[in-house]
Amino acid sequence: MEPIVYVALGAALAAGIAGAASSFGVGIAGAAAAGAVAEDEKNFRNALVLQGLPMTQSIYGLITLFLIALVSGILGGGFKFAEPTTGNLIKAAILLGAGLTVGLTGLSAIPQGIIASAGIGAVSKNPKTFTQAIIFAAMAETMAIFGLVGALILIITGVGF
Amino acid sequence: MFKPEEMAKIEVLSLNRYKDSILTYLHEEGVLEIREIDGEFAQKDAPNEFYRKAASYSISLSRLVDFLKGYKEQAKGGIKGFIFPELKPKKKYRYEGIEKLIKEIESFLENAEPEIKSVESKINSLSTEIERLKTEIEILELLSTLDIEVEYLKPTKNLEIVVGFVEKDKFLPLIEELKKALNDKLAYVSRDLKGKVLVVIALLKKDYDKANPILAKYSFERIEVPEVKGKPKDAIKELQKEITKLNEELEATKKEAKVLAEKYHDELVFYQELMENEREKANMLSNLIRTNMTFALTGWLPKKDVPKIMEGLNKISHGKIYVNIRPPTPEELDEIPVKLKNPKFIESFEMLTEMFGVPKYNELDPTPILAFTYSFFFGFMLTDFMYGLIIAIVAALLAMGHKKLNDGVYKFSNILLWSAFFTMVMGILFGSYFGDAFQRAGINVPALLDPMRGALVVLGLALAIGLLHLFIGYTLGFIVKIKNKETANAVLEQLPWMLIILGVISLALSMPGFTSITLGEAFLLPGIVLFVISEIRSDLPILMRLLMTISDFFGFIGNWLSYARLMALALATAGIAMVVNIIVAMIWGIRIGPVPLGIAVGLVVFIGGHIFSTAINALGAFVHALRLHYVEFFGTFYSGEGKKFEPFKAKREVSELELEI
Amino acid sequence: MREVEVSTITAILDTSLAVIFTWVAYKTGQILWKYTPYSYPNARIRAMEARFFTEQKFNELAESKTLNNFVMNLEDTDYKPYLTALPVLNSENIDRALDKALADIYGLLLKILPKRTRGFFKLLLEEWDIRNISSAVKAKLRGEVARDYINEIGTMVEKVKAIAEAKSFEEILVILEGTEYEEAYQKLLLKEIAPEEFETELYKNHYLKLSKYAASRKDEERIILEEFVSLKIDKINLSTILRGKAHGLGAEKLRNSLIPGGKIKRKSLETLANMEDVEMVLAELDSTEYSGIIREYREEIVEDISAFERAFDRYILQRMAELTRFYPLSIAVPLSYILQKESEIRKLKAIAKLIEDGVKPEIIKKAVGELP
Repeated sequence: MEPIVYVALGAALAAGIAGAASSFGVGIAGAAAAGAVAEDEKNFRNALVLQGLPMTQSIYGLITLFLIALVSGILGGGFKFAEPTTGNLIKAAILLGAGLTVGLTGLSAIPQGIIASAGIGAVSKNPKTFTQAIIFAAMAETMAIFGLVGALILIITGVGF
Repeated sequence: MFKPEEMAKIEVLSLNRYKDSILTYLHEEGVLEIREIDGEFAQKDAPNEFYRKAASYSISLSRLVDFLKGYKEQAKGGIKGFIFPELKPKKKYRYEGIEKLIKEIESFLENAEPEIKSVESKINSLSTEIERLKTEIEILELLSTLDIEVEYLKPTKNLEIVVGFVEKDKFLPLIEELKKALNDKLAYVSRDLKGKVLVVIALLKKDYDKANPILAKYSFERIEVPEVKGKPKDAIKELQKEITKLNEELEATKKEAKVLAEKYHDELVFYQELMENEREKANMLSNLIRTNMTFALTGWLPKKDVPKIMEGLNKISHGKIYVNIRPPTPEELDEIPVKLKNPKFIESFEMLTEMFGVPKYNELDPTPILAFTYSFFFGFMLTDFMYGLIIAIVAALLAMGHKKLNDGVYKFSNILLWSAFFTMVMGILFGSYFGDAFQRAGINVPALLDPMRGALVVLGLALAIGLLHLFIGYTLGFIVKIKNKETANAVLEQLPWMLIILGVISLALSMPGFTSITLGEAFLLPGIVLFVISEIRSDLPILMRLLMTISDFFGFIGNWLSYARLMALALATAGIAMVVNIIVAMIWGIRIGPVPLGIAVGLVVFIGGHIFSTAINALGAFVHALRLHYVEFFGTFYSGEGKKFEPFKAKREVSELELEI
Repeated sequence: MREVEVSTITAILDTSLAVIFTWVAYKTGQILWKYTPYSYPNARIRAMEARFFTEQKFNELAESKTLNNFVMNLEDTDYKPYLTALPVLNSENIDRALDKALADIYGLLLKILPKRTRGFFKLLLEEWDIRNISSAVKAKLRGEVARDYINEIGTMVEKVKAIAEAKSFEEILVILEGTEYEEAYQKLLLKEIAPEEFETELYKNHYLKLSKYAASRKDEERIILEEFVSLKIDKINLSTILRGKAHGLGAEKLRNSLIPGGKIKRKSLETLANMEDVEMVLAELDSTEYSGIIREYREEIVEDISAFERAFDRYILQRMAELTRFYPLSIAVPLSYILQKESEIRKLKAIAKLIEDGVKPEIIKKAVGELP
């Protein structure tokens, strides 16, 4: 296949998978938030913060999308690796890999949503557990952060601006 | 700083007749944490009649408050009310013993309670009556499909009439079986209604016992026919008129309730607070012991408050008191409550430490370090001058509004203020003002580093900061353990990592040639040896020890790499800001004819986008800065297993006690 | 050469993409299927758990002195709508109102729980039918007023009421015709089985259904439900044996009353049934997972077997609460909730009854504290 396909796939998958995962995560936590608020409106603020946590993965995906688009020239100027040479293909593959890394590690948004959902349950039973619930949910994000860091190293050292 | 407040143990012995005033005095001062005495020589104290009354009045007062609250004119609501909450005026009460207070409340309730209760029960009975009429209307609406006058649906002397629903498929068998059992002596009307069948069956009264089990067998659901006359449709109109009348009456009663709320609400809240505090005192009594004439209590208080309390106690009891104050002994280490002590400007950060757990009395209070590193990490992750400014403004407003209350919001906004300060500093260093908005607009701003293009440098920076942070943690742990004479633990648990970190740093510095490689190795090797020794020391099976060594080592690496989130979040802020700016740049130029539509829409997107970006990134920075401290930093040295100081303290929001001393 | 390399790279990329995506999609789907349906109900139930009465609240209620105060004390709770409309305040009416509250909780759970486990709660509701039918029939056999022995909750409240009001045993048969309880009742009427056996028969069928349902679930749902069902079966079997031993019944008689299933093996149960007396049964039980209960309440159990049942109920409650901590997004949460709710309502009913009888607050507190 042409290099453009891989580059575009990389960008799309980074934002796409991470975004989809984020929406699942936010969705799961949102259902829990709705349940908690249905019983007591005081749970709203705590539930809202917890529900927002799985959103970050989609941001990482979006940033990767823009970075890939920038370094490959899709954004500003023309596409740099249009020729199907080995060198260009390898660069395209690196970009695809970077995109995939962020996209797949972005899947951590789903378990994060599940943790947040359980956290919302715990917090509505005992509001004092709020901070703990946040920290537990934030643990799941570590993988996405590592993914983003890895992808950045790949993009900047492997392809460069 | 670094050390919790010095505590002293206090033992008090005095006469029973001063008990109420001494307890009240301590309650109002709120600096003493009372602990249970287990003395076999005397019995535990228990609440007397007045204290028991206090508990029950507290409940009935709160019930009256709950009712009237719904009818009180709401003062300020919304955002303004949140930022600048109204301070409730404190009413003074001259305290002359619980007996007098109870009497006063009794005489107050004597008038107020029946008055409020009568309005309340009127509202309740009106509402239930309306509800009842509404259900009757619902039933009549069902019956209206039959178009039979309601009187005919009522049983007579010889006839029993049952009205109800049955499942569609059970209807025919039911009728068949009834006919068989009653020898055809029955009449019925039926209508199909919402998948069920509405049936009216008339049968002889003497046959009722035979029919009843059959009806039950087919799960016949009866409905109560309302006591009305005429055709259902006409009856419904009548009932609706009645409901309107009742509703008017209800509104009038609600107005009465509003008048009562105006008259009594504040006073009720005032008395309830007084009672609530009496109740708390009553609950504390079980920690005291007493004889016929005397009582004793014990507890902890900050050393600095000792002279004041001594003087107060002596005054109240006219010197008829024995007080013993002594410093804590090493055996009591696990019992001493811990009160954090920090300079005013970082006091708010104690909240973050307390959320994790306070240190033990002989351990170190990490708040001063946390105050600096937390706000710095927050700033590093947000890295935008303008975002910092937005947060600073919001936090400053909140801090102003809540200063007098000194509540959680005030502390939180103080934390945010510091964090916003670092955010602005980092924003200037990285040249970020709403991301790259200025650069895109063609204005050059000085910047040391571009977080996007210099991502790898930022990553290196983040990891270096992480290494330093961990090193601080291990060193603090080492110092504390040495001071508490746990040398072996200090050498085996903290020292290896300190050496390893020093080794890594010198190796890293040797690359550009600042130090020699041998120096790094000189640190690294003993560090690793010590680490392996500490792992092998454990009493797990050999294989597990090996696995634990490996897993602990990579645990450390994981902790360190975790600081990469500093860079990732910094980049995320820059990235989102850039995305907003790119979108704005794209729509900025759009015009429809002479109308520069793009500018208007662009401004909306710019403002909305950056506010969203501030919120979501600040949430991320807040959470992850906290996590780096709780998980990575505290993991190196901090237990948080101390007991928090919880003084015996009165809650005064609307009342103030004047005590005769 | 170059052509080959390019095609190799693309081939590797394409295959790995396909493999990764299939796997990821499968795993993601699995996780979502497992947890999403519990998100809403469990958070809502947790919020409802926050409103369970504390011990202090029960003590306050016990101090009520009159039923009027008792109801007033409940006015700031979820029970308010059920209690304010009562025409006459007596413990019977309060019982009925509380039953209604519990029935509504069941209704809510049946509405919000995921479809795939809803059935279990319907089965739990059926257990009330069995409890009602067997107590009504037993009361009738003893010639007592059956109305006092039934709770207005279950899947067939109307029928149960009609049974309680039935004038003859044949009438009851007519009412039960077509239900799954008909067969057992017929046997009872034909004197093929004794009244106790009738009850066992009902429970046997019921627990069989529960076990089947539990076994038909997957993963943690199955683990939780099977744990719950086997605990219930063990409770009923052990209390049958203990009661039998307290009355000096032989192993033969007990054997027929034992319900299959449960954690204790059939063989061990038979051994227990062959024991001499209560003490020996308890000694034998010391080696099972229930040793904790036995040790703590040994004296009370020897005196009164119902102490064993109370202790066991408390154990089930505690076990389910433990499971909610293991599986926060699972059926354990609603299950534990309904058990706690039933316990709360049981206590409230007891308090109301004792207040009506004019019992002193201290004694009420003690009695209620002993309830599971």
